Amino acid sequence: MTSLLGHPAGGEGIGYSFSQPTAAPVKQHGFYPYTDNGGSTLGITGSDFAILAGDTRSTSGYNINSRMVPKVFKIGGDDETGEGAHIVLSVVGFAADGNALKERLDAVVKMYKYQHGKPMSVSACAQRLSTILYQKRFFPYYVTAILSGLDEEGKGALYSYDPVGSYEREQCRAAGAAASLIMPFLDNQVNFKNQYIPGSGEGHALEQKKAEPLPQATVEQLVRDAFTSAVERHIEVGDHLQMMIITRDGIQEVFHPLKKD
Amino acid sequence: MDKLVAQYSRPQHQNEFYSEQEQQDLTESVPPLSLKFALPPVDNHASFLRAMTDDLANPSCPIKLAHGTTTLAFRFQGGIIVCTDSRATAGNWIASQTVKKVIPVSRLSRGEDKPTNEPTPGLLGTMAGGAADCQYWLRYLSQQCTLHEIRHKRRITVAAASKILANLTYAYKGYGLSMGTMLAGVTPQEGPALYYIDSDGTRLPGNLFCVGSGQTFAYGVLDANYKYEMSEEEALALGRRAILAAMHRDAYSGGFINLYHVKEEGWVHHGFDDMNPIFWKTKLDNGEFSNVTSAL
Amino acid sequence: MGSPFDINGGACVAMVGKDCVAIACDLRLGMQALTISNNFPKVFNYAPSTYLGLTGLATDVNTVSDLLRYKVNMYRLREERNIAPQTLANLVSSSLYEKRFGPFFVSPVLAGINETTGKPFICGFDSIGCIDFAKDFIVSGTASEQLFGTCEGLWEPDMEPEDLFETISQALLAAVDRDALSGWGAQVWIIEKDKVTQRLLKGRQD
Repeated sequence: MTSLLGHPAGGEGIGYSFSQPTAAPVKQHGFYPYTDNGGSTLGITGSDFAILAGDTRSTSGYNINSRMVPKVFKIGGDDETGEGAHIVLSVVGFAADGNALKERLDAVVKMYKYQHGKPMSVSACAQRLSTILYQKRFFPYYVTAILSGLDEEGKGALYSYDPVGSYEREQCRAAGAAASLIMPFLDNQVNFKNQYIPGSGEGHALEQKKAEPLPQATVEQLVRDAFTSAVERHIEVGDHLQMMIITRDGIQEVFHPLKKD
Repeated sequence: MDKLVAQYSRPQHQNEFYSEQEQQDLTESVPPLSLKFALPPVDNHASFLRAMTDDLANPSCPIKLAHGTTTLAFRFQGGIIVCTDSRATAGNWIASQTVKKVIPVSRLSRGEDKPTNEPTPGLLGTMAGGAADCQYWLRYLSQQCTLHEIRHKRRITVAAASKILANLTYAYKGYGLSMGTMLAGVTPQEGPALYYIDSDGTRLPGNLFCVGSGQTFAYGVLDANYKYEMSEEEALALGRRAILAAMHRDAYSGGFINLYHVKEEGWVHHGFDDMNPIFWKTKLDNGEFSNVTSAL
Repeated sequence: MGSPFDINGGACVAMVGKDCVAIACDLRLGMQALTISNNFPKVFNYAPSTYLGLTGLATDVNTVSDLLRYKVNMYRLREERNIAPQTLANLVSSSLYEKRFGPFFVSPVLAGINETTGKPFICGFDSIGCIDFAKDFIVSGTASEQLFGTCEGLWEPDMEPEDLFETISQALLAAVDRDALSGWGAQVWIIEKDKVTQRLLKGRQD
């Protein structure tokens, strides 16, 4: 029994089928095609809207490449203005891979519209993005993607991905460098994890507070708070906050300043 | 040397833009759930992939994949119980507590979670190891099963479906796939059937399997209490209890208990329930888990 | 084998409020994936209103806490008074630096109220004794990144003891629920000028 256990007990080898590292016939000298461009993204959905946000800093190591490199993109809209789009994609990790992924998904969504004469649904687009990522299973896109839009019932939809395409629909998700800072905060403030209803019982009888969709203004404030917190404690996050607010009326894009240190 | 020359004498522009084939793929209306994968321009992709993604061999690897699991399935007189946790971890980071690790296979249209008490026909697959590998290949298997159904006018047997998957993982052996999956189903030809398939190419029929980082804990509970003649209620409770034990002791398992029962008419979902209230109820009502203090 | 800091798991956090401080820790002791014990508090008492949290390698947590207990007892016998948090901070720092080239694998967190001035005091250390003074909060352990996020989001200045308790509890529970190696219950100490309240939190058991 070797593989598949994420973490085999003891000092056992890695979880792949061969225990001996296969000897390379020709030695590869440091083929390293990836750079981590840092940054963080965050998405939260409500009953009739979805918000996808990201900072705009681009780093490599301790250097800042640029203070204005958006990570959140409209998919399937006009090339220049993004008009007509109804799906939003955020990519964080290696910006070049992220851009390639965005272009590819954009092409797919547009082709779908031309061939079927109707816009692609978010759930279909989500499945398609998963296969696109998995096509590069053995040479992955170094990105964590979040896809967002409104589902067939008009409810906010949010799909989060790992680099090779496993995906899941969720209420909220943070990705990127500061995901570990933001995500537990969201668990507590959006899904009310570990919150109990006061006076609902004594000791073990206390009732847990149920998560329910939050109003848009509250969510916007939470997103801003999450990022201002992340900026304080993470060096790869900062400069500007880019927010895409998806409602029935379309996609609204807003920028807020963040700390630039 | 020739190899080196070949590598560097290749015109650079060759790789620019989308190739003819890729352009064709983009314009095709059917998304390619196919076997064409991009490979890195290196001699040994397995070692490249491992350097980039394997966080056990190389904890500072840049691409962290979702891992860690406890899943179990066992046959009993009333069918098959399938039960899983719902945690995904990347290193010590808990990436998600709400992963659906039981994936309906065959009949894509029934693949979504529609709340119903009616049994849904089809097989169930479980997910351990790489989340994307399991999701993708079980979906591919669904496609093949549906095609089988259309071609032969009857549902695929679990033996045949598991063989498709095992042949696949065997074909990709050494490429670095990571999956340990169980296929469960009841068919007229076989009755209740349970198979274990993993990324080594293993394919085993059996009565009882636990897979994942928490498998030993689940086996402990299951082996002690398992009887083929159990009633449905007892079997469901046992599946739940075994996963609960694994969630408690294994750091990489936890979240929600996902419970399914497969019977002749199809599978029935018996809830996706937070483990914490169930844990405290088990503890306080039955006096189990006495290692945890309940005095607040 | 991973870093010695990540073998046993555990998390600790200290926060400042209005004329009060709080310190909290989880209760897990594990060996990598396997949970060995869920009753392993990582906060130790050195004077009526001075507490020290130690996360990291469990054997060093025990060794360092005992070593400091010995040193603090000797201090009390010599000086016939309780050790002040500031003094303890320097004692911890110099004790850790003695092992500069073979350090204890611990990240201490100190919280207390100075008996003479009545002022709250918290600080943290790296494993070789560099003191990190803070006005708001200090975190340590395998869930430190998560704690930075929750504390930065929930903490505000001049909280009363009850609010401070709620804040530190929520911050800790939310953080450890996103870390595989810590959790399994938690303990909180709220330290006021002449009162210390200790509470056990019911946390997730996975």
